[in-house]
Amino acid sequence: MDHFEGINFSELMCGIEAAPGYLKPVVKVATGGTTGSSLAICGYHNVASGIYNNVLVIGWEKLNEGGATTGIITAFDPVWERPSLAGALGPLALMAGMYSAKYGITAEQAAKVTVKNRSNAANNPFAHLQMPNITIDYVMSSQMISYPLRLHDCCPQSEGACALIYANEQETKKITDNPAWFHAVETAHYYTFGTDDKMYDLPTATIASKKAYKKAGIKNPVKDLDVAEIYEPTSWSELSWTEALGFCKPGEGGKLLDEGITQMSGEFPINPSGGVLSTNPIGATALVRVAEAATQVMGRGEKRQVPDVEKALAMGFGGSLWTEILILGKEPLR
Amino acid sequence: MSKKKGQEKVFEIKWKTDLPYRYSIGKLAVKFFEELKENKKIMGSKCSKCGKVHSPPRAVCAECFIEMTVEDMIELSPRGTLEGFTVVNYPFTDPNTGGLRPFPYGYAIFKLDGADTYTMHFVDETDYTKLKVGQRVEAVFKEKREGNIGDILYYRVIKNED
Ligand SMILES: [Zn+2]
Repeated sequence: MDHFEGINFSELMCGIEAAPGYLKPVVKVATGGTTGSSLAICGYHNVASGIYNNVLVIGWEKLNEGGATTGIITAFDPVWERPSLAGALGPLALMAGMYSAKYGITAEQAAKVTVKNRSNAANNPFAHLQMPNITIDYVMSSQMISYPLRLHDCCPQSEGACALIYANEQETKKITDNPAWFHAVETAHYYTFGTDDKMYDLPTATIASKKAYKKAGIKNPVKDLDVAEIYEPTSWSELSWTEALGFCKPGEGGKLLDEGITQMSGEFPINPSGGVLSTNPIGATALVRVAEAATQVMGRGEKRQVPDVEKALAMGFGGSLWTEILILGKEPLR
Repeated sequence: MSKKKGQEKVFEIKWKTDLPYRYSIGKLAVKFFEELKENKKIMGSKCSKCGKVHSPPRAVCAECFIEMTVEDMIELSPRGTLEGFTVVNYPFTDPNTGGLRPFPYGYAIFKLDGADTYTMHFVDETDYTKLKVGQRVEAVFKEKREGNIGDILYYRVIKNED
């Protein structure tokens, strides 16, 4: 953060009408796109370590109040990167183009991701974009924003907040008999300097997910997990990320989608909530992934509920291509 | 802000603020911009342990944790390969100028001949159908150079390389 943006909005953290942090220890966490998953992981560490019994974790964003692209540019190197960088979508477009050139993924396959996720969003009353009748043609004829990304290949700019209550085993019993349990949390960083590597295949997602699967005893993620809420800023990224997360082999993200496996009716639904393509209040976005994974594990998803969820994966993605992975389960990991 | 029928006018306070600050670019970047300005040269830095050539020049090799100095800087070719591209076609405020960044513009990453890492910059093409991963490119320099990255105006696709 260049200019201590919003750091002294104490009424936001401690005001009676906002988060009830008054006279309580408050920690502010900001890591860009991963903010929500960093929050989720910090909440976990605070309770799992035994330091606190109960923690309230809140992520929020009001994108209407500022230019996201402008703000994101200031997060990058002022000398080498800012002059040509166009916020998040420019680099995401580069990545999509390289991914497409390498594996022959098509614009139609990307459009299918948007249709899947926005159709799912119609089952989620908290989703921002409600486009239940969206079609592949509609996505593919929308304006070219940054080749190969069309308008509807991109996430929206949303306003929103998300809150999670954490409790230790003892305290949990007082709150609910149906909690979601943490099985694994992982954070992975990769590059030291921007453009050290091309990174269109998100190596950090591979590093973080492999470690998380090992911790959580997951051998085959598509079989051993029941649902995933992943951070897909564009339609193309979902296809690429499914490969990086080991849901399929490199280059087979399009095939995984075409086979229907990631649809609501498929073996392994991805983003029943509608995903980031339907709702993107940045500081809350990755926390929403965790909340939605918890919702699925607790069986509280109503119209967007996947049947019989035992284990769910949540993913945060951001800034310098970091990935954060959280795995939640219906039963504690013993 | 779009106003729907019946929606009240939003009360707004508008202002613009200058936020000047200093940023230390380090000795290697100073050398890079001196060579760019004076001699139209693009310099990288080579790790003395693994030999990886960093472009732009970096002070530390992330593979080896080896420090690189101005002595480790080498000249790179102004030519290279287009590794990835897009044509940015949306409006936004450029934090470097406070005004609208002119668009559409070609934005790409390149691998300069002799370098092992990538360089991001403008590419002089706004028709994405004319760009292809793997195309050969070359840097186009500003006539009156000032010692900043804008001294490389953009990279352009080489039609017939000799
Ligand atoms: Zn080295």
